[in-house]
Amino acid sequence: MSDTIFLILALLALFGAGTMITVSNTVHSALGFIVTILALSGLYALLSASFLFMVQIIVYAGAVIALLLFVIMFLNIQSSHTPKEPNKYLFMLISAIVMLPIDYLLFRAFYTMTDIENFSITSKDFGTVKMLGLELFRNWLLPFEAISLLLLVSLVGAVVMARKKERS
Amino acid sequence: MEVSFMSYILLAIILFSMGIMGVISRKNIFIIYMSLELMLNSINLILVTLSKHFGNMDGQIIAMMVIAIAAAEAAVFLSLIVSLYRLKHSINIDDYNTLKQKGTL
Amino acid sequence: MSSYFLAWIVLIPLISAAFLGILYLYSITVKKISDKVFATIAITAPILSFMLGVGFFLGLKNGASEYIYEPYIWLGVNDYIINMGFLGDKLSIFMVLFITFIGSLIHIYAAGYMKGDDGYGKFFSYFNLFVASMLLLVLANSPIIMFIGWESVGLCSYLLIGFYFTDPLNVVAGNKAFIANRVGDLGFLIGLVYLFFYVGKLGFDYSALEQYIDIVPNHILVIIGSALFVGAMGKSAQIPLYVWLPDAMAGPTPVSALIHAATMVTAGVYMVARFHFLYDLIPNVGLFIAYIGAFSALFAAVIAMKQSDIKKILAYSTISQLGYMFIAVGLGAYSTGLFHVFTHAFFKALLFMGAGAIIIALHHEQNIFKMGGLRKRLPLIYIVMLVANLAISGIPPFAGFFSKDEILLKAYKHHEYLIYGIGLFTAALTAYYMFRLFFVTFEGKNYTEKKLEPLSWSMKAPLVVLAFGAAFSGFVGLPKVFSNTNLIDTWLGNWSGVSIHAEHYEEIIFMGVSVIAGLIGIAVAYVKFFKYDFSQELKEGGIVYNKFYIDELIDFLIVRRVRSLSTFISVVIDDGVIDKTVMSLSNGFINLGRRVGRMQSANTRMYAFFMLIGLSSFSLYLIFKLGQ
Repeated sequence: MSDTIFLILALLALFGAGTMITVSNTVHSALGFIVTILALSGLYALLSASFLFMVQIIVYAGAVIALLLFVIMFLNIQSSHTPKEPNKYLFMLISAIVMLPIDYLLFRAFYTMTDIENFSITSKDFGTVKMLGLELFRNWLLPFEAISLLLLVSLVGAVVMARKKERS
Repeated sequence: MEVSFMSYILLAIILFSMGIMGVISRKNIFIIYMSLELMLNSINLILVTLSKHFGNMDGQIIAMMVIAIAAAEAAVFLSLIVSLYRLKHSINIDDYNTLKQKGTL
Repeated sequence: MSSYFLAWIVLIPLISAAFLGILYLYSITVKKISDKVFATIAITAPILSFMLGVGFFLGLKNGASEYIYEPYIWLGVNDYIINMGFLGDKLSIFMVLFITFIGSLIHIYAAGYMKGDDGYGKFFSYFNLFVASMLLLVLANSPIIMFIGWESVGLCSYLLIGFYFTDPLNVVAGNKAFIANRVGDLGFLIGLVYLFFYVGKLGFDYSALEQYIDIVPNHILVIIGSALFVGAMGKSAQIPLYVWLPDAMAGPTPVSALIHAATMVTAGVYMVARFHFLYDLIPNVGLFIAYIGAFSALFAAVIAMKQSDIKKILAYSTISQLGYMFIAVGLGAYSTGLFHVFTHAFFKALLFMGAGAIIIALHHEQNIFKMGGLRKRLPLIYIVMLVANLAISGIPPFAGFFSKDEILLKAYKHHEYLIYGIGLFTAALTAYYMFRLFFVTFEGKNYTEKKLEPLSWSMKAPLVVLAFGAAFSGFVGLPKVFSNTNLIDTWLGNWSGVSIHAEHYEEIIFMGVSVIAGLIGIAVAYVKFFKYDFSQELKEGGIVYNKFYIDELIDFLIVRRVRSLSTFISVVIDDGVIDKTVMSLSNGFINLGRRVGRMQSANTRMYAFFMLIGLSSFSLYLIFKLGQ
């Protein structure tokens, strides 16, 4: 059962990513990305990370991509504005070839890890909100607070950057 | 039979490579941004997979923080794009070449 | 007399020089100071030094063996120490006495000679510094301290020869003196370094050197002796480094008098005498020195026969007389050489000052063939010049006779008949060219009379004093036939060298021969020049008049070679090799930078691709490394 679900979700993710990097229309590309995001959130669920499954949908699909689409609309980018990219498939091929050794190395690194067959859930409530919260507020409190500060700073920064310069 | 550990890793690696391909081959700055996000997501997938593999919650925590940082990044990045677009009236990354060496010494 | 005052002999003129220098600067910038102030201070300094010298002389005479005063450490390296040491023994006090005495007289003379000159204060500042340097040279306790004085006199001669530096010729003459001296000084320095290398560890003052000189191997001693003598060649103007001395006449006449009589040129003779313990061990080098001296004497005398510039004639006569001194010291008869230094100081100072008086009287006319008939018009100068000429020509009882005769006697008794012959012949030549100068200047016919400049008393008084010196100073070294006590030999007992025995009849014969040689020279000069006709056309030219073209030869052999080598270095090596290398290096970096700069295309995707290539190749490396 879960094999089938994994297969479907994986194919969806790959399809979304492929759409995203190939199409020339920006909005289509963003839609492709949403597909990937959603497929990944499904995979998180399969990996018994139920909280992350929600966060992924709410933050990524709900906030980040929505913001992205909003900006695209806001700037009112016509298809004539999108850059001409006659060689993009050639570049993709070249970069894919160059990536191969890195991919191989990564794959090999994980493949030679010990006991890769041991892939089972130890406890029933693994990945629930409660477990995650306990872990987060016991051992990860300081990084958590630091990230909240970072979000504040980026908020201020975003406002300052995007502000219209006063004509003098 | 459970889905094998390596299939998740393989998927993550392929997504990561596609992210890189997007960054290098595309000129549209929005697509480059999304390719970067795709790479972050593929790393998240690896983290969550490892978390499950070792039965340890740390992987998920880090993944969550990556999502938080990605959100912060999104805000700054998009405001930068807005600012740049006002300046250059272009979303072609090749047009942002103020630091290029012009002429000879 | 406390040995503490030894330092003051040097310090008084040194302080006076510094004070005069400051006063002169004040005078030219703030408020004009009278020449009398400068002259008074400048003359006082050497007189005070002379008085101190007399004090030490009396002390030594009453039995003190030597005075040593070491006020402070001049150079201390770890436990090796060179003291600032002053040594007052019989030799150095002897030198101090006549340097300060003649120096004082020249100062007095210069006060009159330089009257009205713009650089009056500067001149006397240099003058005092010159005397101070020379005194440091002779009073030094070790060769290193001596070298300070040795270099300082070179500096002072440069400053004074180029005193009228607005004329480029004078500057060239100053440079020539300095460069010729540098060549000599290098030799001197090499000698000192060798000496230091072999015996320096055991102490480097004269007494230590004398004690330990035996440990130096003989062939090294030959090198040291020769190298030190190269220094003496430079300072004392011997072949081949004599070329600067005639040109040094560019300076004011008192400077010439000071250089030739009291200071600089005697430094070489003094140095050889001071290192007598070294030269005693290497008689071959001594003989070489004697031959150099003999040939210098002859060579300079021949050149002097044809010169027409009064000061140049005197300059060549100085080289010639210095040659005699080196004959003596080269043969080990140091006291005889120093005796000639002593008498020469008197008559040469007198000659220069007399010549200076004539030059001033005739409004800076130096060509003797434009003088003539001065006997009646300058009677005092006539008399003193006659005394000086008789002295240098070796006519008894004037000073030069005794010392020159003793040198010739020593040369003969050392069986160096060639040197004796040259010396005798040179004596005749000396008499000839000096009386040629004398007759042409004071006698002759058909001369044009010019209006004379009056001479001040400060120029005349020293002439009279020196005339007495030139007439009678020879009596301190009477030969045995006249007296059993030779004062010079008694005083400089340590430096009298190998004693030689001469029968009385031999001495008389030698004297007779010398006197006849001198008289022949005078007679020839009388015949040729007593009634010299000034209206005739003056013939100038010939190889002798042009000083055997030695200057041109040096110019051709050395100066042009060095210049073409310099040109070669500057054009080929500097421009072609060094500059090219440096420029091509820097151009290479510029080109490299341009190429690297092209990579800086502001194309972000390209940057990312480069990064990827880097990562990828690193991964490849790891894959192959971990491959098995």
